This record gives sequence, structure tokens and C-alpha cells, in this order.
Amino acid sequence: MGDFLGAVGDVLTSSTFYASAARLSALLMFAAVGELVAERAGTLNISVEGMFLSGAFASALGYHLTGSVVLGLVVGIAGGLLIAALQANLSHRLPADQFVVGLTLNVLVVGLAAFLDSNIKPVVEAASVLEIPLLSDIPLIGPALFGQTWPVYLIYPLVPAIGWLLYRTRWGLEVRAVGENPQSADVSGIHVNKRRRQSIYVSGLAAGLAGGVFVLGLIGSFDVGMVGGRGFVAIAAVIFGGWTVKGTVAGSLLFGVADSFRFTLPSLGYQVNPNLLAAMPYILTLAVMMFFAYRSRQPRALAQPFIRGLR
Amino acid sequence: MTVDETPILVDPEVTTPVTPHRRREWGEVVILYGLSIGLALGISAALVAFTGGSWREVFSAIVEGSLTRPGRWGKTLAQSAPLLLVAVGTIVTTRSGLVNIGQEGQLLMGATAAAFVATRLGGPGPVLLVGALVAGAAAGGLWAALAALMRYWRKVPEVISTLLMVFIAFSLTGYLLSSKSLLLDRDPARANRSVTSGQVPSDVRLPTIRLFGNEFHSGVLIALATALLLAYLLGRTVWGFRVRMLGHNPRAAQRAGVDEARSGTLAMATSGALSGLAGAVMLTGGVANYRLTPGFSNNVGWEGLLVALLARASALLAIPMALLFGGLRTGSGFLASTGVERKIVDVVQALLVLALLVPPAVLYVRQRRRALAATRDRT
Amino acid sequence: MEVRELTKRYGAVVACDRVDFRLMPGRIQGVLGENGAGKSTLMKILIGLVLPDEGSIYVNGERTVIADPLHAAHLGIGMVHQHFSLVDALTVWENVALGEPGSLDPGHTRSRVSDISERYGLDIGPEAVVGDLTPGMRQRVEIIKCLARDPQILIFDEPTSVLTPAESEQLFDVLRTVVREENRAVALVSHKLDEIMRATDEVTIMRAGRVVDSMVTADAEPASLARAMVGRNVSLRREAAAIGAFSDVPTPLDQPMIPAREGEPALAVSGAVAGHDGALVLDHLDLRVWPGEVVGVAGVEGNGQKPLADLLSSLLTLDEGAVVVSGREIPSGRAGAMSRAGVGVIPEDRHDSGCVLEMSVAENLVLADPDSVSRHGVLDRRALALRARELIEEFEIRTPGPDTPLWQLSGGNQQRVVLARELSHRPAVLVASQPTRGLDVGAIEYMNTRIKEAAESGVAVLLISSELEEIAALSSRIVVMYEGRIVGEMDRADLDLERLGMLMGGAGVGVGQS
Repeated sequence: MGDFLGAVGDVLTSSTFYASAARLSALLMFAAVGELVAERAGTLNISVEGMFLSGAFASALGYHLTGSVVLGLVVGIAGGLLIAALQANLSHRLPADQFVVGLTLNVLVVGLAAFLDSNIKPVVEAASVLEIPLLSDIPLIGPALFGQTWPVYLIYPLVPAIGWLLYRTRWGLEVRAVGENPQSADVSGIHVNKRRRQSIYVSGLAAGLAGGVFVLGLIGSFDVGMVGGRGFVAIAAVIFGGWTVKGTVAGSLLFGVADSFRFTLPSLGYQVNPNLLAAMPYILTLAVMMFFAYRSRQPRALAQPFIRGLR
Repeated sequence: MTVDETPILVDPEVTTPVTPHRRREWGEVVILYGLSIGLALGISAALVAFTGGSWREVFSAIVEGSLTRPGRWGKTLAQSAPLLLVAVGTIVTTRSGLVNIGQEGQLLMGATAAAFVATRLGGPGPVLLVGALVAGAAAGGLWAALAALMRYWRKVPEVISTLLMVFIAFSLTGYLLSSKSLLLDRDPARANRSVTSGQVPSDVRLPTIRLFGNEFHSGVLIALATALLLAYLLGRTVWGFRVRMLGHNPRAAQRAGVDEARSGTLAMATSGALSGLAGAVMLTGGVANYRLTPGFSNNVGWEGLLVALLARASALLAIPMALLFGGLRTGSGFLASTGVERKIVDVVQALLVLALLVPPAVLYVRQRRRALAATRDRT
Repeated sequence: MEVRELTKRYGAVVACDRVDFRLMPGRIQGVLGENGAGKSTLMKILIGLVLPDEGSIYVNGERTVIADPLHAAHLGIGMVHQHFSLVDALTVWENVALGEPGSLDPGHTRSRVSDISERYGLDIGPEAVVGDLTPGMRQRVEIIKCLARDPQILIFDEPTSVLTPAESEQLFDVLRTVVREENRAVALVSHKLDEIMRATDEVTIMRAGRVVDSMVTADAEPASLARAMVGRNVSLRREAAAIGAFSDVPTPLDQPMIPAREGEPALAVSGAVAGHDGALVLDHLDLRVWPGEVVGVAGVEGNGQKPLADLLSSLLTLDEGAVVVSGREIPSGRAGAMSRAGVGVIPEDRHDSGCVLEMSVAENLVLADPDSVSRHGVLDRRALALRARELIEEFEIRTPGPDTPLWQLSGGNQQRVVLARELSHRPAVLVASQPTRGLDVGAIEYMNTRIKEAAESGVAVLLISSELEEIAALSSRIVVMYEGRIVGEMDRADLDLERLGMLMGGAGVGVGQS
């Protein structure tokens, strides 16, 4: 126990820990705030995992072809949107089950990315670090918040933009109504499934960007296993956050910190079985959901299809 | 529910003439399926062409590898057995209205438990074999039941929990394989870097069946029997009746005496147990040379799930679908000669599933629209 | 606004048959008809939810096609829905903003809500969360939502079913303001004769999709209106009651059978307490029903009727209190316990817990009791088909066959399937919750007859209804529910509508109850 506390203390005073925690949290946050929009409209969008990976591969490909990080990110977003288009149209234009579609898309993306990756083998390099003068000199949190590669900073405008979209625009109001009570929204003259499709596109955009940031802002390479369930953890962050923007951000921070713990511990010389460390974020996610899924009020029509004339 | 304000003195839907439309409707169905399957295969062919391969070669390699070359259809049968077990288990949860998508992990837990019984416990071979199969089923069942408990007790969506538990299962198996005191092979001759369990002793393996120059393990019979049994249980018994009730309307089921938490947990455990059994059958049937490895499950859980999706909640339909996917798996081993990456098979599988999702959805919309137009208003 | 020769067909059924209809500014136009007469279809056409097959619509003299609700709003037509179009989780102003065009302007919307609320004395704050409001208040939000668009034409579809008599009067006051002072046109759709007589200037009567008569309300006789509405002389008091064709105290029908209340009650609920989302939905509810009597539970919707029905369907677990059926205490919320103990339920919303739409008619007929048609846990298909045929015949269920999926049946026939199943179990207690809602007059009569017969055969019947007329027509004893409690009780013979109305509005609360 003393050892454990000592290790935690060492981790908490290590500035590399804060930097990696911030990166990994930001990564989850991209995917999670997008997922939040989809869920507020009533879709438990499990294909966010596939969008994430699709975005990652597409941005690697984009960079490989153009040599530009900006274009790489744009292609990454397109990769996320492609999966979003499939999910949106299959589950909210046709009434195919959203989980079945999402799951199949996840499998498809893994296969496709593996197939194309082994054929193309894209060469990628991470974007340059952009240190914000003065601010990045703050001890511990300075490098974490202001000493990252520039794509990571995109999270700063994205989160308020999502908040604005959900709470300050008519579109957001309609999205929230559609996720709560599609029948009422329909009677009020709102095109329920159109709003749901659009919200899935927002999710695809954000998750595609997450993939791009992962490849071009964090690692500088692509691997099929790299996303490894982070899309699902993003869903858990939304649940943890009680379907609010602030809560989702908090959830992403929590899981990002847990994720970085397992990378930081070995680098500080602590010998922990890597398998147990790898399981930690998932166990934490489940444990946290057991507390928060029960308490928070989910959008009432979450995961329920809407077909006019049916309940 | 809305109030039906349409006069119901006459029931139009009862007298809807169907005969003149029948032929046209069948035509629609055929065209729809043809189009979407054609599209899926077309995209796959385009991918093959994109990487410089020939789809004709790919096709014939898969057919040869899975069927026509000597001894290959036996391999296909052996591959299909675990797929079928996973799929029929999944169908039980689907019918109960639950979404279990953690079969990959449940299967791995089953294989792990079976490996423990087969390699670490002593006893007569047949007893150990049965013990390994039972332990596999029990481990998979418990793993899935945990997700059900979290759902009913703490409202954690099982869609997420079953998935996250896949990753935990991988870590757990990896951990167990990291130490000789646990599951790592104790054989001093073990190559230094190989992370595997000990080999399943020869008397604890599933008996091999030889037929017309093909051989396959007897797990095939277990899978087939399980599929038939579940088809019967789901279709003909009071239990199956209640499961369907629960899946379609949990509140009506609760009123009629079906406890959602208990029946749902049972369904989830059944599904997990069959996935676990699939893992045990794979281990004792010779996958990875009768040794547990960290990546032992090798996507069989995911593909079994896809088989279930294709079979659309019918345990009987799962049999041919499992054979199709099993064939694709064995056939993909012959792709090396064509220069096309075998991962193309994963893509084809997923595209096929997507393609087969579309026609029923389209037909459902049409059928429902017709019925609604006949009876109800738009609200 | 005027429509001419409007026709709408659903398959072989003509919901509206060459309907002519006019709305004039400054007038309240009543639309009277039984359930299923085509009133709602007509209104849905006016609001753009349904497109007519034939006929023409003129708004301010110009011929138009109303494509959807937004277009209708643009033309100045607004509707206050029978079933709410509000989203619980949103605030009042957000609900009002919902479905409007243009960009969101919270400040402006809030002040508009306050203005309208003040002008009509509706007493609704813009920041209240709709889910926290009572049904009566929610309807006011609905009215604000409608008025916020400043419509020239307002349509009210069965507005009083969720209101106490006092609230209904308030609503009619608002209507009069809207019409007299602001010169708007109002259509009031109702199947209640007394309401039409009280609130409207002119009345259009519909029957089986046609307009059968139109007259100035002041010149109309209730009896002749009733005759026009039903299409024959309303000689039977039962029918008259079913459609609300009385405005004074109705007399008991068919010699009310007052069964002796002795021995053990078939159903006894005592001290029932249950909460939901932090609010009490059942608050020390006490209720006893003896074999052979029909106890009517009157009350404004949303005062605990649904939780009561849920309790007796094993769908609700009590925090305190007990349910005793035929002398045995039955644990609440345990799957199937109430059903096994002999409590049959015809739920308010049959699709909620009454049936499984995706399963066949035959299967729905044995939902609670598949063991009765099976051997050793295996369903006996022949026994199942046999049972189904018997019940289909006995209850005159119109279906192509026992294997037809239930969703293919009409609402009335689905309800018969539920009724057939519940009665075939020979229940000790029958709970009928809003059993005739949404049914046409023939089906209503059938349902009422069956309920009466059940009581006569010794079943203890609990009739939960928001329609006072229905309660008055069937019950031998009436209790009033308010905020999860029974606040008053009277025998059918001592029926006092005024006192009943006051109790329903909560006026009797605090006064000692027996």
C-alpha cells in the first residue's frame, strides 16, 4: 500500500504525466463531445469507435498523400463523416437497428483499415509542438495545457462550440427535443430523423478529428489497434457526465488521466504487470458507470428508433 | 399511444387483397437483395482491384481453400462450429431484447477456463474434457452475467459494458499467461519468448471425426446439436415464448410473470456460456495447436456475432450463415497465392452484413406504411 | 377559413366524406361527433398533418394546400393537441420556441411567454420545467405555445379530458377572450354534448365521416343534437351516458345493482405509498372492492390513476402499504404476482403493458398463461389454436386468423383481444383503466356491457376513468382520486356531480374523510 501511494505521488509530481494526461484527455474529449450531440438526439452511437479509427487511418492517408497536417486532419474528418453517413442513413433513414449497424461498421472499419494499411503503409509524422510563450512555463500544468502539438489545441474551440450548438441555437433545442420526446417534436413540426442524422454527422466530424489528432498530434504513426476501445470509453464519459457538456469534459479528463497513468508508471521505473495496467482504464470506466449511470437522467428516447405513426 | 380516430367499423387491413400484389412483392424482394449483395461484392472487388489483385483469383482461391481442395471442407466445418455456437447464443439475447456484443471476450474467458482445467488439473482424460467444456461455458456465462447484473442493478447499458469487458478479458488472459504459477507453459523446452499455455494433453482433446478424406473435431456435432436444440427451445417451448415476450415488450412480460432482471440475466448468461463453450471447443479442438495464446479468440467472437445478425434471430438460419463465414475464414488462408491481403475477407464479411441489413429494413418500412395508411393517421 | 367537399380515405374506409366546414373570425365553432366520426381527421387535415384525397381548402378566401404543420402555422392556423406536444425535460419557453422558424432568441421568447400568460391569466412562468407541471397547467403551456404564434385560427382537440370542471370553465373563459376581444376563429372539437352546448356559438355535427348537420348552438336542443350525432333516437340511457348526452344529474341506469358489501373484499389496498422521481404518486391510498360491485375511480388525469393501475399490474413496487387479493397479501412489483392472484387488467394504454404487437393474436390471448396450452413446458400448437378460435368467436374479434400479428388489427380489435384474455382467466378482480378511450360508439357499448356482465357474475370491478359520464353510467360506487389519494367516496345512488367536481379539483382535501 505504501508502495502504491509512493508511486501515485511520484506520478503526480511528474510533469510528463500531466502532459500525457492532457493529451489523452483531449483525445477522448474530441470523440466524447461529438458523441454527446448524437446521444442528446437519441442515438447511442457505438460506431463512434469506428469513426475514430476511420478518422485516424484517413488522416494518416491524407498526410501520406499531401504531406500536410492540415489536409491530413481534413481527410480524417472526412473519414469520420463517411462512417457517420452510413450509420445515419442505415439507422435513421432506414429503420435498421442502430446497434447492429454501429457494430458492423466498427468491424468494417477495422477490416478496411487493416487491409488498406498493409497495402499502402502510410508514412506519418507528428505535427510540431507549439509552445504558447509564458503560459507553457507554468510548472506542471503549463506544458500540459500550453505545450502540446497544435492539433491538440483544437479542443479549446471545439468544446464551447458544441455547448453553443446544443444550448444556444434552435438546432440544438430541436436536437434535445428529439432525444427526449420525438413524438412531441414531430407534432411541433420538427423532422425527427433528419435532426438525428445531422447529430450523427456532428459526432462523425468530432470523432474523425479525434482520430486525426491521435495520429498527427500525438503519435505520428498509424496502427489498427491504436484506438483500442477509446470510442467506447468516450461513450462512458458521456454517461459519466450525465449528458451535459461540462460533465462529459470531466469524464474525458478522468479517463484520460487513468489512461496516462498506465503509461507513466512504467516510465518512472515501477514494475507493474502491463496486462493489469492495460485493464485499469476499462475497469475504472465500468466502476464509474456503476455509480453514474444509475443516478443521471438519460435522454428519454435514447436508443429508441422513431418511425412516425409508431410509438 | 395515440387515439385511433379512424372509423373501425370496417377493418380494411383484414380484407386487404394480397394476391395480385404477391408476385410483384416477391420481385421487389429479389431485386432488393440482389442489388445490395451485388453492391457489397462490387465494393469488395473494387478494393481487390485497387490493390492490384484479381477478384476472380480471389474468388477461386476462397472456393478452393474452403471447399474443393482435398480436406478443406472438413476445415471449414471445424471453423464454423465455434461461429455457430457464438451465433445461437447471441440469438437468445437478441430475442430477449438485450444487446450482447462482448462475445469475443466471453469466448476468450471460456478458452482460458478450459485451458486451466485441461492443463492444470489431473484426472482421467474424458472427465477432464467434459470438465474443460463445462468450465469454459461457466466462465463465459459468468463473464456475460456480470454485464447483465450491472445493467439490472446499476443501469449500466449492456451495450457498453459487454464491450469494455472484452478488453478486460484480453488483459486478464494476458496476465494469466504471464506467469508459470498461473497458466504459462511450464515446459522447460518452451521457447523463451513464446507466451502460451501448456498443450492440452492428447486424451483431453475432442475426438476427431474422419469422413471422405476430411477430418474435423467433434465440436461440430456439439455446435449442430446446440443450434437445433435452441431452435426448438426458442420456437416451441414456454421458455421461448416468454423470452420473445420479454424481447418485444418487457412491461407486458413483467405483468404476465416474466421477471425482466432474472430472465434477462439468464439469457445473457446463456449467451455468454455458449460463447465460452465455443472457446473451449476451439481449444480442445486444436486451434493454435491445442494451446491458449493471448490472441486466441482471433475474431471468432466478433464473426459469430455477425453470423447472428445475418441469421436475423433464427437459430436454424444461423447454421448456413456460420458455414458461409467459416468457409470465408478457411478460404482466406489460400489468398497468399493471389497476392491479396487476407484481411479482405473481414471487409467482405462486414459489407455482406451491412448489405443484408438493408432489404429487410426497406421492406419493413413499406409493409408498415401500407398497414398504417390503411388504419391510422400520421400522429 | 373554409373547406369544401373534403375527402380522406384510408383503404376502404372513408374517414372524411365530402365534408364542408367553415370557421369565422369572432366565433367558436363546435365540432361534435362520436369517437371515430372523423373529427380528428378533419382537424389533422386543417393543421397539415394529413393530406386530403379530394376537396379544397380556402384560407382568407384563397385556395391553398396545407402541406405540413409549419405551413399551417405560417397560414395562421394553430392547434392545441389532445395529447400533448410538449417535451417534459425542456422549460416552458423552450417548448414555446420549439418548431418556430428563425434563430433562437431566449430573451424575446421568455418575455412573450410572460406577456401571454398575463394577458389570459394563465399563471405560467417561462422558466418552469414542463415535466414538473400538472396536466392542467401543461395544457395552458400548450395554449401559450399556440397563441405565441398569433394564429388567426385556433383548433382545440378534446381539450377538457385532462381538466377539472373548474379548469374547464377557465379554459372556456380564455376561449371567449380569444374570440370576442381578438377576433380570432376557434374550433372546439369534442364528443361531449354539454361542453359544446356551453362553450360554442355554432356547432357542426359529424357522423361516420360526414357532416350531418350544422346549426347555431343557442337554437339547438340537446336531444336533437344527440340524435344527429348517434344517428338514431337515443333512447337507451346507457348510450346517452356514454356520449355525455346529459348535463344534469343522470339517473342510475338499469336499476343499479348495489351488491351487499359483506365478507371479505376481493381487493383491498391499504396505506399504499409509492414515489417516482422524488414525488409521491401514491400517498397512503386505501381502497376496497367487494365481489360484484363496480367501483368507479374518478379524478383528473395524472392524480395517481396510472400508478394505481400499474400497482395492480405488478409494474409498481410499493414503498409502504399492502395489496390483499381475496384474502391473500400479494407482494407488489413481483413479476406476474397480481395476475396469478386473479387480478385482470385492461390497461389505459394497451400497447404499454396489455399486449405484444409483434406476437400473434393467439399468443396474445394466452400471454399470462402459456402453461395452460402446453405440456411439460412445450407449447401445444393445437391447443393454442383451439383456445384462440374459441375466444375470437366469443369476443367477436375481427382478425384474418389466430396467427396474424397483433399489430395488423385495428385498435378496437386489439382492445378486444386484451379484454378476452383478461376475462378468460376468470379473474376475481378486473381493473379497467380508461377502457373505452379511442373506441367508437359500438365498441364502447360492447366494452361497457362486458364490464357490467363481469360484475354481475361476481367479479370485483375497478373502473378508472377520467370521463365522469362513463363512471356514472357503470359504477355502483364512486371514489375520487386526487394527488395519489382517495379523497372522497359516494354511492351511485347519492351521486352529486357538484361535490364530485370539487373533490376532483382537490377542494375536499383536508376535510375529514371516511
